[in-house]
Amino acid sequence: MRVELQGITKRFGSFTANDHIDLVVEPGQIHCLLGENGAGKSTLMNVLFGLLHAEEGQILINGEPVHFDNSGEAVRHGIGMVHQHFMLVPVFTAAENVVLGFEPTKSFNRLDHKTANAKIVELSKKFGLEVDPDAVVETLPVGLQQRVEILKALSHDAELLILDEPTAVLTPQEIDALMEIMRSLARDGKSILFITHKLKEVRAVADVITVIRQGQVIDSVPPTETENQLAALMVGREVNLTVVKESTQLGDVVLELKDVVVRDDRGLAVVNGVCLDVHAGEIVALAGVQGNGQTELAEAIAGLRHVESGTITLRGQDITNHTPREILDAGLGHVPEDRQRDGLVLSMSLADNLVLNTPRRAPFARRGTRNLNAVDANATALVERFDIRTTGIDATAASLSGGNQQKVIVARELARPLTCFMASQPTRGLDVGSIEYVHRQIVNQRNEGLGIFIISSELDEVVALGDRIAVMYAGKVTGIVDPSTSREDIGLLMAGSTMGEHV
Amino acid sequence: MTTLDTTVVVAEPPRVRAPVGRRRVIGALTIVLGLFVMLAFGLGSVAGAHSQFTFTPVNTSSGAPWNLAPLTVLTRWWNLGLGLVTVALGVETWVRRPAGALVRFGVGGVLFFIALLLWACREPGPSPVSSLNFTSVLIGSLSIAMVLIYGSLSGVLCERSGVVNIAIEGQFIGGALAGAMVDSVTNSFWLAALVGILVGALVGWLLALLAVRYLADQIIIGVVLVTLMSSVSSYLNIQVLAPYPNLNVGNQPSNVAIPLLSKIPIVGPVLFNETMFFYVAVLLVALISFGLFRTRWGLRVRSVGEHPKAAESVGINVARVRYSTVMLGGAVAGLGGVAFIAVQGQFQPGITSGLGYIALAAMIFGKWKPSGAVVASILFGVSAYLVDALQNENVPIPTEFMTMFPYLVTIAVVAGLIGRVRPPANDGVPYKRD
Repeated sequence: MRVELQGITKRFGSFTANDHIDLVVEPGQIHCLLGENGAGKSTLMNVLFGLLHAEEGQILINGEPVHFDNSGEAVRHGIGMVHQHFMLVPVFTAAENVVLGFEPTKSFNRLDHKTANAKIVELSKKFGLEVDPDAVVETLPVGLQQRVEILKALSHDAELLILDEPTAVLTPQEIDALMEIMRSLARDGKSILFITHKLKEVRAVADVITVIRQGQVIDSVPPTETENQLAALMVGREVNLTVVKESTQLGDVVLELKDVVVRDDRGLAVVNGVCLDVHAGEIVALAGVQGNGQTELAEAIAGLRHVESGTITLRGQDITNHTPREILDAGLGHVPEDRQRDGLVLSMSLADNLVLNTPRRAPFARRGTRNLNAVDANATALVERFDIRTTGIDATAASLSGGNQQKVIVARELARPLTCFMASQPTRGLDVGSIEYVHRQIVNQRNEGLGIFIISSELDEVVALGDRIAVMYAGKVTGIVDPSTSREDIGLLMAGSTMGEHV
Repeated sequence: MTTLDTTVVVAEPPRVRAPVGRRRVIGALTIVLGLFVMLAFGLGSVAGAHSQFTFTPVNTSSGAPWNLAPLTVLTRWWNLGLGLVTVALGVETWVRRPAGALVRFGVGGVLFFIALLLWACREPGPSPVSSLNFTSVLIGSLSIAMVLIYGSLSGVLCERSGVVNIAIEGQFIGGALAGAMVDSVTNSFWLAALVGILVGALVGWLLALLAVRYLADQIIIGVVLVTLMSSVSSYLNIQVLAPYPNLNVGNQPSNVAIPLLSKIPIVGPVLFNETMFFYVAVLLVALISFGLFRTRWGLRVRSVGEHPKAAESVGINVARVRYSTVMLGGAVAGLGGVAFIAVQGQFQPGITSGLGYIALAAMIFGKWKPSGAVVASILFGVSAYLVDALQNENVPIPTEFMTMFPYLVTIAVVAGLIGRVRPPANDGVPYKRD
């Protein structure tokens, strides 16, 4: 199927998310849409999938203009979408999810499970995507959930498959498997629109790469382009992709985890005996696919989640199950994973957010009364030092861009003397410029002798920053390796192999 | 070094902790229940006290073929025995922690119920002068349970589609008021039911309008709708029902006995000699259960309650599903209101006395399933009826405490016994297309 977008323009109020975008996907082509977060890729795909309506422009399928009022119509025209956040009902079985909206029925409107299962088995065989039709989706690992999503799209006879950031939640091995699936689908004549901001993947699998920046098509290039050239197209200037790190002297242990066990909200021991230490002057990066206990581990260290057993010490001081207040006072700097929910009070001003962790202290307060002059002076100084782009220190945190919000949190945490600095997903959702900046700050702090603990599901980031890389899988640290270790081996650790078996 | 392995290593998902600890807690609770029976109802009765149960309901002819003779027992020894059996069940649950722990607790609960009745109707002398009609207690309990079943089914429907229906109480009031008036005028409970359904659906439509269209907070709208309906009913009571008493005559529908089955002792009069509202409730439980879990309609309703965005991405109209399901739920609760007035007779303001909220608790206790809602409704129905029944008996508990009982049971059950239950993931979350 040949799909053509002509002059698609989508505005949200005064903001133009898509500005006269033209795009052609040929049958059997893997077409990659490359761009930063916020460049307008997802908006464009939602327009193509009938979830949003463009103000201008039209969509042509095999030369015929079409118009979708909702995604159901897009599906009937052979367009399938695998969303970044899976559109699967967690408590339904794989089969129920695949047939939802297009259910085969028997008399009295009864669901025909047999036909549904048979259809899935048939599709699984045809495309080499094995899934147990009776498995409840929430019990499946993410990679298999994604297969269910792909099967769902294929079951509606999709000729064009949109994959929106499909690799964000996968291990390197699962990514390889996904790419193999994409190639095999393309050989069957299906067209694929692959959306990502990761340069490596693009070059490995794409036939054509279209780069989008600030809602506009910048260029279409072949995959033979180098990563640096692609990055420059994506960002609009030359980008330094590697982090320069000077060698430093290792100091004492500042953060030590011993046999830490933590349960999640469901009562599962998602952190199950983690041992790890971080020295002053080094960056320990914790890698792992999302959902292997990293979030809960970070919460436990910060005092936000009960530690079932084991100990956490901060430069010799036991902080296990202490209150967050005590832990902050003991010298832990913490950048939480979800900055908008846990890192900032979005409706409060920049100045207030910058003293959130020390509001009761001199000089910001005295005898229960705030000293607003000191708060403002602090804000002005930090805005200057950390290059926070804002209309003023009275602006709300919500008014800042994602990158600047993250700078506010980093600035707040680094503004006081620390023993250890812990950051979860420090660059999630940031543009390349902000990523560079945050990375630079982290490396600078390490050079000055701070112990740093980074938790990230971005393998690139882990490899770029870490002096040592710890890999977490199913609640355990499966290995601690040098950053020069091959990505394949780290990937195997992320998928649950232990060091002894493979290295 | 290793070679690249291209097969996906399938991660074993973390295993859910078996609720073994909870079974132990249930075992312990059963033991406590049994000990309570032995101490309070057993040793709490004087040694020579007797209790008598009769089994022939008041309203059936005494010439039924299989009537049971009255049962007279020594209160202390029977209750000690019942308590001992309960303790044994509890010990077995504590030690073996079986999957059917809750069932054993349920059996303990039934024994507790019997012991309580025996204790309540005891007479100190050897030959009892008064007796307790066991069958009537069951009939009375079931009449309240039936109303709760309507309410909790309404809750199940709405919440499965992702809309919290706090307004069940309001739909009860609307149905009851409309039912009383229509029946008084037409002398037909079928017409009353029809109008009650319409009124309930109308309240459901209001709820859906505010919740689905205007994305308002569903808890607040629900409470507002209850207040609205109760104020409207007070107003109409003063302005219409008081000056025209023939609009509120308080008819009660006649029972429909099912041949043969209704002649079985105890079970017959309780289950097979009921009003049409009871049979309709049974039918609705089956229908809604089947509909939600076996049909395409049900799959779509549940998908909208769990993950509306996913539903929309496959072309399901989330708003339409929620509107229709909430109106259907309202209709069921409205019918429940008519069923209630059929039991109670005349309408009075405040007559529903929070039954709609207890129905909501029954829905939670029943884990958002029609079958579970039935079990919970019966439990709450029994405890609510006992309060009425025991006030006439020899029970040394102040009435004020007695009336708390159903609510205490509700709190205890919802808070402690059922363990973790999971509502539909998007229950009560307004869905906004982006």
